[in-house]
Amino acid sequence: MSAKIKSPWILHYNCGSCNGCDVEILACLGPKYDLERFGIINKGNPKQADIFVVTGPVTKRTRARLLRLYMQIPEPKVVVAVGTCACTGGPFRNMYNVENGVDRFIPVDVYIPGCTARPEAILKGIKKAIEIWKIKTKESIEVPVVIQKEFEETLSKMVLHGQTVDRRKIIHDLVNKYIKNNLEVTKCD
Amino acid sequence: MENKMIVPFGSQHITLLEPVRFIFETENEKIVNVDVDVGYVHRGIEKACQTKLNYKQVAYIIPRICGLCAMSHALAYITAVEKILEFDPPKKAKYLRVLVHELDRIHSHLFAMAHVAEAAGYENLVMHLFRDRELAMECLEILTGNRVQYDYGCIGGVNRDLTPEVEKILRKKLKKLEDRIHWFKDLYMNDYTLSLRWKGIGVISKEMAEKYNAAGPVARASGVRTDARAEFDALPYRDLGFEMIVYKDGDIYSRNLVRLDEIFVSLRIIWNILDGLPEGNYKEEVKGLPKGESVCRWEAPRGELFMHVRGDGKQILTRVRVKTPTFSNIPVLRELFVGANYADVPAIITSFDPCMSCTAR
Repeated sequence: MSAKIKSPWILHYNCGSCNGCDVEILACLGPKYDLERFGIINKGNPKQADIFVVTGPVTKRTRARLLRLYMQIPEPKVVVAVGTCACTGGPFRNMYNVENGVDRFIPVDVYIPGCTARPEAILKGIKKAIEIWKIKTKESIEVPVVIQKEFEETLSKMVLHGQTVDRRKIIHDLVNKYIKNNLEVTKCD
Repeated sequence: MENKMIVPFGSQHITLLEPVRFIFETENEKIVNVDVDVGYVHRGIEKACQTKLNYKQVAYIIPRICGLCAMSHALAYITAVEKILEFDPPKKAKYLRVLVHELDRIHSHLFAMAHVAEAAGYENLVMHLFRDRELAMECLEILTGNRVQYDYGCIGGVNRDLTPEVEKILRKKLKKLEDRIHWFKDLYMNDYTLSLRWKGIGVISKEMAEKYNAAGPVARASGVRTDARAEFDALPYRDLGFEMIVYKDGDIYSRNLVRLDEIFVSLRIIWNILDGLPEGNYKEEVKGLPKGESVCRWEAPRGELFMHVRGDGKQILTRVRVKTPTFSNIPVLRELFVGANYADVPAIITSFDPCMSCTAR
């Protein structure tokens, strides 16, 4: 565990942002701000990532992919919403193809406001995310916001019938069902 | 054939900055067919411009189409509206607009070059480019107040003046940047690794670029003389020593060199502005509501941007249409993939410097 906390790898996903916050994240990884001194590497693979950095308002095409990526990151995981768009929807709030903020879908731990978020703010936010991540354990399984209600119903039903409960499996099944029923636009979303 | 294989690339991938999906049909290592989906980041900005926001607010939502070429979008819209209102901005405002627009181009080009180097696996060069890009970013910050989304242009002029203190700092930083760009030019011309990875890869011939209507540095690297800066007169580029950069080879290497040389041109324009900035106001009051129709062509860092604005004398416009450079480059990109090696795909995509948030809006 102690070896692990020296290398929090990040996964960066852009779910509809204007690229502004994305270039600032990359500038953070560059030599001037040097996020890599915390042991951070930007990885494209969700299965190796620990911190999920999301930018942009969630559009209707990217929301299924956002949920899928979140489910694929192993616990413990921390979600950082970078930029006003990712926090609330920002200037794109209530446009017809926008879902207003990441926290409508997945639980967010750190919000970094700003249009665009400054590199100093991103540094501080990610430092904070690492602190939160240290406290979380493998058993701290969080439920995506969209299936919270169904999850509680299913859980209480199973407890009532005296069945053994595997929270992780229930969440995976419910998310897959939710994506299939509500979010899929094309086959490869 | 039986050994065809379908490889999805995206919508989330390490070399991609933003969601776009390619589905490659490959035969061994060669690509035989490709399907492109660019609509992931569609937010509906054009629709909002016609329903929710008045024409002055639109000037602040239009730059949010794309963070990297924010100034181009904003200035194209502002120029189109000023054309309808028959307003001529003050000369000083025009010069300051060029100044920020060219700084924008410098940081965008350096970013694109860094991205290509990353796809080639040259991490050292990426870090060098990112460090020197910060010089341009610092210039922008001290001049406009923000690093990326600096709403500098406004209808009637620009939002901030260039004070002598700021000018002093700009000169110092730009001198340093120019020295570094000379160093990069030397590296790009002489480095063995770079030429090995990039020469002769992803070649677009002149006929192909003309047939599929390529735009921007991609077209100029193939020998097509197209640059909206040389053709329009909304900004005083002719007085400022603008020069078009054209290369003949059309491969990844010459696309990089076009970008590098355009940084030199931009720096020369900026020096000329700093030396001969005219006196006068930087902002004037604009009266009236837009009634009529106008179009504006603009040279964004990625190529030609086209803006169409129509109003009928009310606060809310009836039509705002944006045609972005990456949209023009998608057909030639698709054509280029057929017959290429799958291993070259990341390098080819990044050398186009695609901007999907522009394309899907």
